[in-house]
Amino acid sequence: MKYMIMMLGDQATMMEVKSKEWIMDMIEFMGKMGTDLTESGELIDNRGLADPSQAKTVSIQNGIPVATDGPYAEAKESLAGYWLVDVESQDRAIEIAAVVVAFTKEPLEVRQVMDAPPQL
Amino acid sequence: MTITPRIEDLLRELAPQVLGMLVRRYGQFDAGEDAVQEALLAAALQWPQEGVPESPRSWLVTVASRRLVDEWRSESARRRREESATALEPLGRGRPVDADDTLTLLFLCCHPSLSAPSQLALTLRAVGGLTTAEIANAFLVPESTMAQRISRAKQSIKSTGIRFDLPPESERADRLRVVLHVLYLIFNEGYTTSAGPALQRADLTTEAIRLMRMLRQLLPDDGEIVGLLALLLLTDARRAARATADGSLVPLAEQQRELWNTAQISEGVALITRTLGTTPIGPYQLQAAIAAVHDEAASADDTDWPQILALYEVLERVSPGPVVTLNRAVAVAMVNGPRAGLALLGTLDTIDSMTHNHRLEAVRGHLLELAGDAVAARESYRRAARMTASIPEQRYLALRAAQLG
Repeated sequence: MKYMIMMLGDQATMMEVKSKEWIMDMIEFMGKMGTDLTESGELIDNRGLADPSQAKTVSIQNGIPVATDGPYAEAKESLAGYWLVDVESQDRAIEIAAVVVAFTKEPLEVRQVMDAPPQL
Repeated sequence: MTITPRIEDLLRELAPQVLGMLVRRYGQFDAGEDAVQEALLAAALQWPQEGVPESPRSWLVTVASRRLVDEWRSESARRRREESATALEPLGRGRPVDADDTLTLLFLCCHPSLSAPSQLALTLRAVGGLTTAEIANAFLVPESTMAQRISRAKQSIKSTGIRFDLPPESERADRLRVVLHVLYLIFNEGYTTSAGPALQRADLTTEAIRLMRMLRQLLPDDGEIVGLLALLLLTDARRAARATADGSLVPLAEQQRELWNTAQISEGVALITRTLGTTPIGPYQLQAAIAAVHDEAASADDTDWPQILALYEVLERVSPGPVVTLNRAVAVAMVNGPRAGLALLGTLDTIDSMTHNHRLEAVRGHLLELAGDAVAARESYRRAARMTASIPEQRYLALRAAQLG
């Protein structure tokens, strides 16, 4: 079963209010998460997204698609990064998320990736 | 590289036998498995050009053994001494090819200490002879992810010291249940990620059926093995009819039955008919019997629902659970009317494991529709569409809801 474990929110603000030690611990922690999930054969992909301040929103204005600066959602609701994992069960996906949450103290969203034939 | 199907079939059939011999001779599952994969690859390259050797199995054993020895030579002197010592004490040297080796291998790959994804991957590689790339492709994950999963599973077997032996008689039945469940999961994985008649080489439904046939040859007297083989054949027989060319699902009642695979249906029906009543009854045999009743009906209206209901009642006694109750509710509705089915479904609402089950809502929607309650049916279909983790199912349920206005 594939799950996307999503980190929401504003990473920049989080980094700005944390200590140097915390940031270094965080870098080490995230590195270890990636290694552990790779070694267990569960990690499909993990990525961090550029800050929402750099986002463009493409929307319809006067009937034509137009790009404007900034994210569509509030910064705290914006996707900051994700782990895409293939795991035995939802419990295992939650267990992985819990390890991260225990460190960051920030909530994560765990969403199942839908099954579909490859062409869909 | 094009390998002829005959060579490919031969290689896949020999793969577990060669690995079994190697593990017996050298006592190393993980390194042996890598060596066999390399030997299979060498054969796939050479045999189409140079012809199939007189004894294909010996050829593979020789090449794989050479790879294994090469591997040892390239390791440290300490390691080499250890391994040579192992190699000097072959287990059962000179034994003829033993069918039990393949069975032992299957039990090993489906060891209860491994996670289900690891069991599936290892079984397909070590017993099925598929490459890591093919397995990764079938499970829709990157090859590196699958390679790591297989390597971790092999390490785990090594570090827990699991021996290459058949499980003792006292554990045999439980261990066989795990093996059957793994093969069932392999089939299911293929079934949910495929639609329509398209087939890939590493098609998991076909592979699960092939492995089930092999298992049946090894243990011909086990009723549940026959039952699961029949169930897979009878389910897979409907493959071409269960989705349209664009991937849309077609429910059983609306399938074009002339697209069903009649050869597979005949085989499945014959298997289950011959077995029922001759061995202890089990859930796979009963599910196969139910599938057989569906497959034998010339049209949806001809379905012998009283027979199906009777089989579900037995199944619920043998192997009770909410999913069985859910399926029985459909049969109850078809025999005694939709309201009777809905009443039985209502008993599932308080069960935690069913609160997020889209099939409960989908079935409820269907029965409400049959009962003429379009408004409630639409709500159930919509709830089901939100709960499913399958895109084709979600689209199907959204369409059913939309059709009800």
